[in-house]
This record gives sequence, structure tokens and C-alpha cells, in this order.
Amino acid sequence: MAMRLIRDTHHPAAYNMALDEALLRLNDGPVFRTYSWEPSAVSIGYFQSIEEEVDLEMAESMGVDVIRRITGGGAVFHDRDGEVTYSVILPSGHEAARNSAKESYEVLCGGIVEALGILGIDASFAGINDVVVGGKKISGSAQTRKKWGVLQHGTLLYDLRPEVMFSLLKVPDEKMRDKMIKNIYERVTSLKHLGLNASRKDVEDALVEGFSNVLGEKMKPSEPTKDELALADELMGEKYGSREWNFRR
Amino acid sequence: MEAVNGISEGKADYKVPGGKLIRVRVWHRNGIIEKVRFHGDFFIHPEEAIEELENGLVGKDMSGAESFIDTFFERIESAGVGPEDFKRSFFLAMKE
Repeated sequence: MAMRLIRDTHHPAAYNMALDEALLRLNDGPVFRTYSWEPSAVSIGYFQSIEEEVDLEMAESMGVDVIRRITGGGAVFHDRDGEVTYSVILPSGHEAARNSAKESYEVLCGGIVEALGILGIDASFAGINDVVVGGKKISGSAQTRKKWGVLQHGTLLYDLRPEVMFSLLKVPDEKMRDKMIKNIYERVTSLKHLGLNASRKDVEDALVEGFSNVLGEKMKPSEPTKDELALADELMGEKYGSREWNFRR
Repeated sequence: MEAVNGISEGKADYKVPGGKLIRVRVWHRNGIIEKVRFHGDFFIHPEEAIEELENGLVGKDMSGAESFIDTFFERIESAGVGPEDFKRSFFLAMKE
């Protein structure tokens, strides 16, 4: 069976997270989705405290969504035009889903390394869940493993606005804020900063090809089904749009 | 930290070698845990198990907590953190 390919567009945070979970829960085979965020959003990891990580007043004043993910990992600023986001869903019987979490991060992040290679950029897997170029992070991913299978979603940085990012994310020490903004390019990079003049479509095409190659799956264009959209709608209302979920820790 | 109504509160931010962060807050009465919360950017599968860990530590002392953390990590999968990191962060919060 071919891997379903859902090339999605800009959506609010609750929809993005709800559809990822709906695709995981109802999957009957592997799925790959690309998407972005409208409005821009901050997502926090499952284990994080929303109040410790995000300046909620600033987010509200800037019209930025704030949402808790189903996956662990850190807080991420999803700039509307600053990243391409992907999700990959593998049913529990899939070869790559049978790996340990650590092993499957390396396999799946390999799709991003491959995509960057297609774009002419020499990247490598680093740490637990990152992809780096010249030692600088360009992509972070997070996964959850449920009875339905594995969901991994992540970002590939297209551009970076550190002053906006650090106005939304709390920093350990306020005195360090300016320094962190100034020094971010020592730790993080983006396609734009690497001088790549590629369109969003080019980047998405490269991700599709990269993941197709590492998973050995042909991709077949698809849309979310009626059942998936109905479940996403339910999850938006009852979970991702609720204070109970977003402030649970 | 000074006790209020007999309950002491401790917290610690522990950077795990490799980069992940564990933020612990613990409330205890004479060393017996009343409540504990682990926050951070680590990975534990299944994610919901963190609440079993936090609830399971209530009523335990430091030594009981360390054994409980060891047992907990035998039945979950983690990435970026392990039992020694959780015990270390917990120890730092209790000793604050």
C-alpha cells in the first residue's frame, strides 16, 4: 500500500494538532502530511508547564495561538512563514515503528537529512531528535507512540525571527534575553540563512521525496477523510481547544 | 526552603547531559512527599505515565522515591533522560 500524502495549508494550532492525532488514531497505513500555521503559534511539549514556558499575555496581544502537543519535547515558535511542518504516521506493525523511540528518531529524521541533501544542503542527525547543518539546528521533531502506531511531527526552519520568538518564549533569566537573541545564530540556522532561495513548495517536495526514500514508501496524494475530519473536529473542541488540556501541567 | 504549615517546597532545574531539562517541584512534610511535578522537554512513552510517577511518589521518603523511580523506568520507554537523571533532579529539589 502506498503512503498517503496530505499536502495541507495554513491552519490554526488546534486544527493542526487535532488532525495529526485523528490521522494517528484512524490510520490504516502510513501517512505523511505537510502543513503550516495561521496564525503563528507556540506549541509546548506534553510535559511542559505552559506558564513556565510561554508569555501568555504577549501571545494574546500578538494574536499567537498557544497549544500543548500530544508529544514531548520543548516549546516551539511556529512562525507563519518561517517553517514547514511535517507529520508522519506509521501503523504499529510498520517496520520503522517497531524500532525503539531512539532508533526511530534517527530513521525518521533521516527523511529530513535526505530532504536537505536534495536541496543541496549537507545535514546530519544530532542528539535525540534534531537535524543540524554545520553544527547548528535547523529541524526539531517529537514523537508519540500509541496503540495505533507512531506519530512524529517536526519542523524545518525556513526563516527565523529570534526577537519575536524570544518575546513569546520565557527565558531562564531576563537579563539573558538580549544575549540569547544576539547569539541564536551560533546555535540555530534556517534555509534562508543558508542562502537557499527555494519556495515553500520546493521544500515540501524535498521533504516528500526524502521521507519516501528513507521509508521505502511511494507517496500517493490524498485528503483527510470525512471520518478523520469529524474526529479532528471533536478533538479540537474537547481537547486542543480546551483550557483543561492546554493548562493541564 | 522555609516550611509553611509544616510543608516545605523545593524546586530544581536539572540540565541532563545531552541537553534535556527536568524541572522538578516537590512539596514535602518532614521529608515525606505530599506532591511532586516533573516538567521539561524530555520524552517518556507513554506520556501519560508521568502522572503515575508523580502520584506514585506521594507518601514516600527519599529512599522510597528513588526505588520507585527505578521501578518506573523499567516499564516505560524514554529518550534523552533516564532514571538517574530523574533521581538527581529530585534529590536537588528535596535538598533545596
